[in-house]
Amino acid sequence: MFLQIFSFELKLWLKKPGTYIFFFVFFALSLLVTVVLGGLIGSSPETNVTINSAKAIAETLNGINTDLIGIIILITIIAPAIYKDFQYNMHPLLFTNPITKFGYMFGRFFASFLIALFVITGSAFGHIIGCAIPGIEAERLGGFQLMNYIQPFVVFVIPNTLLVGAIFFSLVTFSRNMISAYVGAIILLVLKGISPILLADIENQDISAMLDPFGDQAFSNATKYWSAEEQNLLSIPVSGTLLYNRLLWVAIAFGISALTFYRFQFSQFNNPVGFSLFRRKKQEIKSIASVPLLSLSDLPKVTQVFNFRFSLFQIWFLAKFEYFKVIKTIFFLIIALLCVLVLTLVSPVSAAIYGTPTLMVTYQVLQISGIIFMIFAPILIVFYSGIVVWREKDSKVDELVGAAPISSWTSFLSKLIGLILMQITLLLIIMFTGICIQLYNEFYNIEVMLYIKDLFGFKLIGLILLCVLSMSMQVIFNQKFVGYFISAILIVVLPILASSMGWTNGLYQFNSSGPRLVYSDMNGFGHQLFSFVIFKSYWISFSMILIIFSNLMWIRGKEKGFKIRLRIAKKSFSTKAKLAMTLSVFSFFLFGGFIFYNTNVLNKNISVKDQEKAQVEFEKKYKRFSKTPQPRIVAANWNVDIYPRRRGVKMNGYYFIKNKTLKPVDSLLVNLYSEINLISMDFPVDRGATLSLDDKENGFRIYTFTKALQPGDSIKVKMSLDYFPKGFKSSDAGTAIVYNGSFFNSSFLPGFGYPEGAELADDSNRKKYGLGKKERMANVNDSLARMNNYISSDSDWIDFECTLSTLKDQIAVAPGYLIKEWEKGNRKYFHYKMDCKILNFYSFLSARYEVKRDKWKNPSARGKDVAIEIYYNKGHEYNIDKMINAIKKSLDYYTKNFSPYQHRQVRILEFPRYATFAQSFPNTIPFSEGIGFIAKVDTTDSESIDYPFYVTAHEVAHQWWAHQVIGGNVQGATVMSESMSQYSALMVMEKEFGKQAMKKFLKYEMNNYLQGRAMEGKKERPLILVENQQYIHYNKGSIIMYALKDYIGEDSLNAALAKYIKKAGYQEPPYTNSLEFLSFIKAATPDSLKYIINDMFETITLYENKTTSCSYTKTKDGKYLVKISIDCKKMKADSLGKMKDVAIGDWIDIGVFGSKEQKGKKTETELYLQKRKIDKNKMEFEILLTEEPVKAGIDPYNKLIDRTPDNNVRSFTDKAPVKDAEGGGTVVIIGG
Amino acid sequence: MNLSIKNLSKTYANGLKALNNINIEIGSGMFGLLGPNGAGKSSLMRTIATLQEADSGTIMLGDMDVLNQKEEVRKVLGYLPQDFGFYPKVSAWDMLNHFAILKGINNPKERKEICEALLNQTNLFDARKRNIGDYSGGMRQRFGIAQALLGNPQLVIVDEPTAGLDPMERNRFHNLLSEIGENIIVILSTHIVEDVRNLCSNMAIMNQGTVLLYGKPNQAIEDMKGKIWMKLIDKEQLTEHKTGFRVISTKVVEGKIQIHVFGNTQPDPSFVPLVADLEDVYFATITN
Repeated sequence: MFLQIFSFELKLWLKKPGTYIFFFVFFALSLLVTVVLGGLIGSSPETNVTINSAKAIAETLNGINTDLIGIIILITIIAPAIYKDFQYNMHPLLFTNPITKFGYMFGRFFASFLIALFVITGSAFGHIIGCAIPGIEAERLGGFQLMNYIQPFVVFVIPNTLLVGAIFFSLVTFSRNMISAYVGAIILLVLKGISPILLADIENQDISAMLDPFGDQAFSNATKYWSAEEQNLLSIPVSGTLLYNRLLWVAIAFGISALTFYRFQFSQFNNPVGFSLFRRKKQEIKSIASVPLLSLSDLPKVTQVFNFRFSLFQIWFLAKFEYFKVIKTIFFLIIALLCVLVLTLVSPVSAAIYGTPTLMVTYQVLQISGIIFMIFAPILIVFYSGIVVWREKDSKVDELVGAAPISSWTSFLSKLIGLILMQITLLLIIMFTGICIQLYNEFYNIEVMLYIKDLFGFKLIGLILLCVLSMSMQVIFNQKFVGYFISAILIVVLPILASSMGWTNGLYQFNSSGPRLVYSDMNGFGHQLFSFVIFKSYWISFSMILIIFSNLMWIRGKEKGFKIRLRIAKKSFSTKAKLAMTLSVFSFFLFGGFIFYNTNVLNKNISVKDQEKAQVEFEKKYKRFSKTPQPRIVAANWNVDIYPRRRGVKMNGYYFIKNKTLKPVDSLLVNLYSEINLISMDFPVDRGATLSLDDKENGFRIYTFTKALQPGDSIKVKMSLDYFPKGFKSSDAGTAIVYNGSFFNSSFLPGFGYPEGAELADDSNRKKYGLGKKERMANVNDSLARMNNYISSDSDWIDFECTLSTLKDQIAVAPGYLIKEWEKGNRKYFHYKMDCKILNFYSFLSARYEVKRDKWKNPSARGKDVAIEIYYNKGHEYNIDKMINAIKKSLDYYTKNFSPYQHRQVRILEFPRYATFAQSFPNTIPFSEGIGFIAKVDTTDSESIDYPFYVTAHEVAHQWWAHQVIGGNVQGATVMSESMSQYSALMVMEKEFGKQAMKKFLKYEMNNYLQGRAMEGKKERPLILVENQQYIHYNKGSIIMYALKDYIGEDSLNAALAKYIKKAGYQEPPYTNSLEFLSFIKAATPDSLKYIINDMFETITLYENKTTSCSYTKTKDGKYLVKISIDCKKMKADSLGKMKDVAIGDWIDIGVFGSKEQKGKKTETELYLQKRKIDKNKMEFEILLTEEPVKAGIDPYNKLIDRTPDNNVRSFTDKAPVKDAEGGGTVVIIGG
Repeated sequence: MNLSIKNLSKTYANGLKALNNINIEIGSGMFGLLGPNGAGKSSLMRTIATLQEADSGTIMLGDMDVLNQKEEVRKVLGYLPQDFGFYPKVSAWDMLNHFAILKGINNPKERKEICEALLNQTNLFDARKRNIGDYSGGMRQRFGIAQALLGNPQLVIVDEPTAGLDPMERNRFHNLLSEIGENIIVILSTHIVEDVRNLCSNMAIMNQGTVLLYGKPNQAIEDMKGKIWMKLIDKEQLTEHKTGFRVISTKVVEGKIQIHVFGNTQPDPSFVPLVADLEDVYFATITN
């Protein structure tokens, strides 16, 4: 019986063209993804990872299988396997045959399941063919291995299809309502969507990995530390969370299937609503009993009104009807609850930095709700558009309504409005939930107007446009699933495709909003509002066209053919409709034209490809000038007038340039952002220069001196520049100068020489254009490169002075000390002058600031006090005291341990959260609104990371590590700035918060380093040769420096650093390099530990430390004898992550911990911690203690780099007496 | 007002000729459209009800061009399609009010009155608060006619309304239909001969998209007078008779087969003359 039904159903599907169309869709999608990833089309970032490894294939196949399109196809195939019998009234015929429940249900289910699997294999074939297309970069391909396709199928595709299939099949079979499948799909997709957000917090990884129904997160969690080499070679690790995830969800799938089977009854099918059966009979008798009293001709006469006003009433009535039809279902309730749940779940983890959340300011809550709009709204709108458009058809009232005397636009518009009302309801729910979250978090500054502006101003327009698009697709394609399909492609796939192909122009991206400007407390919505309105008007015009066309194509009867519908449409294309259409088309072109004028005429809008070509062109043309000797800037003096309302600036001033070479310099190469307008450049009269090349496109000029600049000569070059952005660009909002919170730096000003940084960096791209390989940075020993520091290539140490002017209500700040401040007209002027030499690296800021001032008392009698100033946005007072404290503590530590502070002042200035960093300029630290000003630091929790404190300490440290010592422009340069600032900040934090607080911070650093190296696209370098790789100089730097301090001692390390600063501080070229730096550390390291210098700095070293067992016995004298067995493996990795085991002979911490009750809280206490010589892979230790131990292990503080840090420590669960150690291990007994 | 259909033809995309040069004039009163399943009745009905296009020909309702002035036609149209349903979980009252609004009845008081009257008339008033989804087949059809009668329809189209109803319900439905005034056009399509005989003053018989017979039922029976013959035969004889005579219908009676044969004269003495009824007319027409 099973076989009969199964094969019958299978044959049925195999005859349908849909089966092959779906197969082809999977095939095509997969092919496309593969080709894009393979670098054949579009631009993919540089990487060492192949596209046909088991991991890559699993990601591609599972990605396609479980995205909206994949899910829609699965719904189409599997969900109606039984429901269709009911839908087409087939069940009476079927059930009269003697079929078994098992055969019927599972026959149907497995046949459609198998068809679904068949369809999905399309993606595997697409991938295989994609890899075989000539033009795919050879480095991106590993050898073909069938196993790499089979494994993803077994681990992901089959279980996921089974799961999705079982869920949809059961939902629809029971509810006999396809909507239940859509809601099921929404829930699955939302779970999939939020699990990576939850995963972002390293504390929740296992939970969120289990939560993802498709196993994506568990998989990426299991492989997140894989180096390129491992990603390319290893198979899918079916163990740990991934295994549990798969088992869990397969079990759920089976559970659902079993339940469906158990609960399913044929009879239920025949009598759909069993409950009202009895009542109906009763009613029937009653209605037969009565007799009509009137003649129909005596019916009351009614007046019928057919005018515009009543049509509007009809629309409103029908919209309400549609709305309540949607709202009053259990499904909407589920969706609303899901909305609330997602917001609540995500709010504590999103925007957390180092696990510390932010205050629930309104914009933060709105940003979190944005997640809902990203993953929720499109799916919801796509599904509900189909439901709404086909409501009449699905309940067979279409002919009744079709013959009713309503105007043809009533139906479409009322449904659209109904759908929009649903969106508004969801927005209200979001707003309400958001406010509740704020109140729950004890944040009471609730900006209701901001909610309304953001949700009902910005977001709603986008939602309405999505509604129009997906409803129109339903109407135009006149088939529910085709409509779903096309909408999903347009809404989900097209944007992804466009961005991977580098089509960024908003003119072709439905619903684009123009250049995006994040909301900021400082600058509000800023200047984005104008371009937003223009872009939305453009798309609204487009939507009007869609609406009118859909109205015309709206079918009222049974006509299906597109041609006939078009003919009908032509007939009903009334004058009014024509007028409306003309107006819409006109405004579409009007706004489109205006956008084009702004993005492509007033501004350059070049694609990524064209950008690359321009870079190649530039390099080919001007590379020959790269060795041309140039004079160097020795002083800068600027008058900078900032015009916040016009978002522009005028800059007038001069440089003193000096020939520091030993030869005459006969020309000056000037490079400048091409958008900045260089009005004039004047040389002294007696040293005239002629402009011999002026490349406006690239902002590159060459002046030839009439009289060469002799060695040692210096001249004054006067310049006048301005920058006023014209109109708006297609995607870049331009945030340098804004209404409130301008921040730009010296890169706005002319520089000299050939700009190496303008060259194309990506090697695979360079190869395409016939350029040679480009090293990310010059070799550490490159003496020529060391003639420049890594921040500036046209200057060393300069004198700096500037006069800033801005709006009267703003304060403008640049490095230096305020000499004078005055007002003239409606502008305010500030004169700053620096009293010592600085790097040619300075910033300009202007905003409506509040200022908080404080002072750091220099403990040394001869030292100078330091003024502290925090410039902040009103309302952002929350963490200012923490920042001031951090400045003071930093100054304490750095002046004591490194060298004196070169300035008399430290200033922190807030800037809008368009960027989230802080940056250290001389005595001036611009600090983003987004990283610390609204942080919510839990001061009662010693583990919680006070990142405003940390960031401040780091930036203050840069006043030493970058502004005193600066590395040459070679590998390893950032060790002396970034790694050292990390180390300095860690030390200040450790002093402030204690050793325990370091643990969590270092855990994040370890995670970021290990994940960073997994994503390395070129080569991972050892720390000492770091090529500006953030995961190395920040994250690995922290771990290494902290461990180094632990090994050689804080004092001796700091002494070495102080010596180094003394040697290398304020030095003229050639600049120091990391090898010189390391030599100071080496000198401070005792011989027995010299190996760590090589392990930590000169090579990439990883450990695999593990405590395999631990136990203790109580001795007669009341002491505890602890026995620990450990595994230790030490590995060296090459630049691609290829590992090699090496012999151990290391000193590694062995620790035992107890537990102490402190103020009702259990805290961990260190009972024993000592570095022990580990020279075998397996060792055992015995330790005698006086207190009861709780945990023990090797390297318990995770000082060494270890990809599974969690197994270093073990709890004593086994308290049985210890047996004697069995051979191999070394036993050492130590008195506790 | 007359409904006049001239040269109406329609061929579906799959090549099926649904309407083949139809010419009928329909005056006020009840008009029966008789034909077997698939004869093209529903296509014709839908075309008149503005829900389907014709390839050629015209339909005029008074001076309204039905094919081109759909909006105008819908204002005076009441339509009960063959296969219809209602929104789930909506009560009869709400549903009827819903249709009243669609039909342009804007005065809430009038709307209430007409809905009450129609529900009373169709005996659904007591059940007005129940969901239509729970209605029995007969109640649904009655509700359907109530909906069709909303407003002041000049043209009422009912497509196979009694299919699947029990005899009692069918009777009641006939009573309802018969009450619809004589002053408006009512087109009733059916494959049940009795319906037409009971209700219609005019009729047409259709098969394979063509109108085969068009006129008054009594006249048609009159024309058939003396042309229908009956004989009881054994099963084995059926094929033989079918080839020899123009058998229009067969019926099993007490184990034997009763055949009706069409012939201007008595085919042979074994045949007995029969008083023709409408059913014979129908069968004679469609087997022709």
